[in-house]
Amino acid sequence: MKPPSENHDLIRWLDGEMTDAERAAFEGEMKADPALAKEAEEMRSLSASLRTHLPAEMKVPHADFFNSQIQMRIAQLEMEDSRQKPESSLESIFALFRQPWLAAASAVAVVVAGFLMIGPGGTDSEHSLILSSYTPGRGVEASTYHDSAADATVLMLDGLDEVPADRKISGISVHRSETEPEVAATTLFDAAGAPLLVISRDAAGHPLFLRNHPRG
Amino acid sequence: MKVLPPVFLLLVSCAISWAQGGGAPQPPPAVKPATEGKVWGALIFAANDAAQLTGSQEKAPKHLGVLDERLAKVFPFKHFEILGQHQQDIFREYESWVVPSRDLFLKVDSNGPAENGGVKLHLQVWREQQVLVKSDAVLRPGSPLFIGGPKWKDGRLIFVLSLERK
Repeated sequence: MKPPSENHDLIRWLDGEMTDAERAAFEGEMKADPALAKEAEEMRSLSASLRTHLPAEMKVPHADFFNSQIQMRIAQLEMEDSRQKPESSLESIFALFRQPWLAAASAVAVVVAGFLMIGPGGTDSEHSLILSSYTPGRGVEASTYHDSAADATVLMLDGLDEVPADRKISGISVHRSETEPEVAATTLFDAAGAPLLVISRDAAGHPLFLRNHPRG
Repeated sequence: MKVLPPVFLLLVSCAISWAQGGGAPQPPPAVKPATEGKVWGALIFAANDAAQLTGSQEKAPKHLGVLDERLAKVFPFKHFEILGQHQQDIFREYESWVVPSRDLFLKVDSNGPAENGGVKLHLQVWREQQVLVKSDAVLRPGSPLFIGGPKWKDGRLIFVLSLERK
């Protein structure tokens, strides 16, 4: 058995980051490995215990976001480094920009590029933004951009498992909700005020839909 | 006749008032949690073949204009059907859930108001028990977020999240 810090599958299982197939395979693995099952139970109990004792309003930092921020910083440093290295070899190219006609053309190009970037959709301070994103699923990629024509910010997820065509996907119409922080449950109501469902979280922090309110 | 002492009378009146209250502690008055604003979230099925639509009659709120046309500029489909929708307060201190469907839904945590308007959010898109993406975002009124989700039938599921103007 791997030490807890190295068992990424166990952490992904606890965090709800596995696909259905991965989860089924991992749970099969746990059945065959009592030590792994024991470790999983211990970590789940620890997680539930911590969640119970931490104040509800305390923000727990996400390790995955921390990692993504480090990766972004590394990428920035690498980019800065790569910009500095070829400086000497580019000197001859920069000499070309000293030509007066090219300088004027460059100025026009910068203005046009700036206009296109700002565009009719306005500046970044006017529309919604995606600051960072993290996709825990293997093979899943997120890309983001602002579409000026739609005046919307797009977060595109590619590589997700398809929903089976014969699976029924149904929606609900929620008009209001009531949240009870003490029991970490939210009751959703329809337009007529009738309760539709109750959402809470299980010991591992995964969303849990209940038929009845936890207080009965 | 013996006169009852005032302390005894006070105790009796307290006992009577307690009995009238049924002896049960009164529930504290409901306090609405502080909020950062209100969002509208919807699960949308985009498809080219009208025969694949589910027949849902849900309508988008007026503040989004013609939502179909806006979606069509991003997603190459002819039909956009709202399967479910949810209007939800964003709580300042507690998590909020936007659940237009049990199949695909969103957990929202507020990170406070954003500069130049809007609200900073931590978003998690869930597909049943699996988190698809975790994201930090700034949501501003009039500028919805379109999240391209998994494929379904010959189309695609899309999540729309929009901040309502105060």
